[in-house]
Amino acid sequence: MTDVVRTGFRPSRVAIYGLLLLAALVYLIPLFIMLVTSFKTPMDIRTGNLMALPTDWTTIGWTKAWSEACTGVQCEGISGYFWNSFKMTVPAVLISTLLGAFNGYVLSKWKFKGSDLFFGMLLFGCFVPFQVVLLPMAATLGKLGLANTTSGLVLVHVIYGVAFTTLFFRNYYVAIPDALIKAARLDGAGFFTIFFRILLPMSTPIFMVSLIWQFTQIWNDFLFGVVFASGDSQPITVALNNLVNTSTGVKEYNVDMAAAMIAALPTLVVYIVAGKYFIRGLTAGSVKG
Amino acid sequence: MSQLELRSIRKTYPGVAEETLKGIDIDIASGEFLILVGPSGCGKSTLMNTIAGLETITDGSIVLDGKDISTMEPKDRDIAMVFQSYALYPTMSVRENIAFGLKIRGLPKHEIDQEVERVADLLQISQLLNKKPANLSGGQQQRVAMGRALARRPRIYLFDEPLSNLDAKLRVEMRTEIKKLHQRLKTTIVYVTHDQIEAMTLADRIAVLKDGELQQLGTPKEVYDRPENLFVAGFMGSPAMSFVPVTVEQGEGGLQAEVRGNDGRALKLPVPEFLADRVGRKVILGIRPEHITQPQDQKNDQTLVAKGEFTIEVTEPTGPDVIALIQLNDTNVHCRIDPEHPVTWGETAELMFDMKKVVFFDPETEKRIAPH
Repeated sequence: MTDVVRTGFRPSRVAIYGLLLLAALVYLIPLFIMLVTSFKTPMDIRTGNLMALPTDWTTIGWTKAWSEACTGVQCEGISGYFWNSFKMTVPAVLISTLLGAFNGYVLSKWKFKGSDLFFGMLLFGCFVPFQVVLLPMAATLGKLGLANTTSGLVLVHVIYGVAFTTLFFRNYYVAIPDALIKAARLDGAGFFTIFFRILLPMSTPIFMVSLIWQFTQIWNDFLFGVVFASGDSQPITVALNNLVNTSTGVKEYNVDMAAAMIAALPTLVVYIVAGKYFIRGLTAGSVKG
Repeated sequence: MSQLELRSIRKTYPGVAEETLKGIDIDIASGEFLILVGPSGCGKSTLMNTIAGLETITDGSIVLDGKDISTMEPKDRDIAMVFQSYALYPTMSVRENIAFGLKIRGLPKHEIDQEVERVADLLQISQLLNKKPANLSGGQQQRVAMGRALARRPRIYLFDEPLSNLDAKLRVEMRTEIKKLHQRLKTTIVYVTHDQIEAMTLADRIAVLKDGELQQLGTPKEVYDRPENLFVAGFMGSPAMSFVPVTVEQGEGGLQAEVRGNDGRALKLPVPEFLADRVGRKVILGIRPEHITQPQDQKNDQTLVAKGEFTIEVTEPTGPDVIALIQLNDTNVHCRIDPEHPVTWGETAELMFDMKKVVFFDPETEKRIAPH
């Protein structure tokens, strides 16, 4: 059987790889168009072919998007909103991941009466549509004095993310043998020592899964951003929308594309950096040891 | 060096009607090697977990060196445990694994280092100290797990089926090591296993459990030679003891019981005098394979010995012996025969029954009928 696999050039193989290549191309075309368009001059865009490479390579679209483009009344580019998104995403991701890890630890290793029911109900949180909570959440944030602030957005994303992160960590920790916890208890370790010294160091793969998932979700979120933030605290997704919809004369596609690329870059970078852990974490059923 | 008393330990899990432990009473002397043995689900692991403090008891008390520790947290009991899965901390090196408990107890660094060295020497794992558990073989992981328990010099060691994840050869080696270690350190050990050979070879005393009840507590020899009931008799020994229903009769030379092979040939077996009050009644004859052998000349003149011809149904050579299967009164009975005395399946062979060490059970109560 292994011989058959090794004999390289067979029609079926060619067909499979051809198809895979084609699929990859189809997925890459939008990215390609975005990239080349962002480096074109407006003139080039109007006259040239959509797929063609720029005749004059220019970064004017990128600089304009970053610091000059108009998002509504202001014309300061999207850089400010880019940092807004970071200020919102980083704490929200870290807090929700840590809370999820902690929840998962309790729900898998320190089960209490009704903990399985609790977990089941928590899972509903994964399926609640965003729209449903908009009004109550707005009221709550208002009462807490967090309306229209980045902290408010962080809170919303943490609450929404905890259901997912708890699910990740709980399922990861369930596969870790209970004997490990028992051994640590006999060694004299308490609740927190076991968590920080034994379980957390074992959690790198699932941490990466949670980080990537949460980062992508929170960074890409538009609805909460547009509803619960205003003006200076808006995240980049909202700014991007404003930028594209602000029309002052001719549409500057190169600026739009550059802005969209800037908005998409962080999630891309996170995936490239931590992606191998993502796959590993998703497939890891149990822990070697 | 510590003495442990288990006083009528009861345990009921919430939502479970039947008790898991139904009042276990065991006194474990200082330096004693006690083995808890029984089939899966008999409560032996639960009992061990309650000693460790990993599970609470519903009733009774656990007394360590005169002090009631029933409600103490595991960390305050000063007990160490070796787990079946070893439960080594995967992200820590062997050194850190062994040192973990000492660190948590706040020992100064030089003392920890000293202790790790001592334990590593003792278990011959010094060259592994900087490795991670995942890079160790099963036997090495086993040693590290024991090292972690030894490092704290606890008052009691608990072993929860520590050898069952090893392959057969390694298991026998580690068994010997554990025995040596115990003889050297004279520590008090409670050891759970379902392997009756492990129990026989290691224990000072064996506690046989079934369905949460203590069936018998005694030295390996007592448990093997004088099992309290049918369960213990069938559990200890491999191949197991055979149970043949017989009727006690008054013969000319004394009491006897008839067994009939599957070819219809009968043999009157002499039985001991303490069965006199059961003449005419059924008893269960418990006979171990080594009680039925090829004819041995030196036993010819002994009392309570009989010879008869039976058809061999199956032979299983084990090396030192051949285990042969015959039928007595429609039950399968194993015999242990010298390989130098060849027997063939399907043919008859003359067998010698040594009735001096056989046991008898009451068919009603399933208890052993004790000599008066």
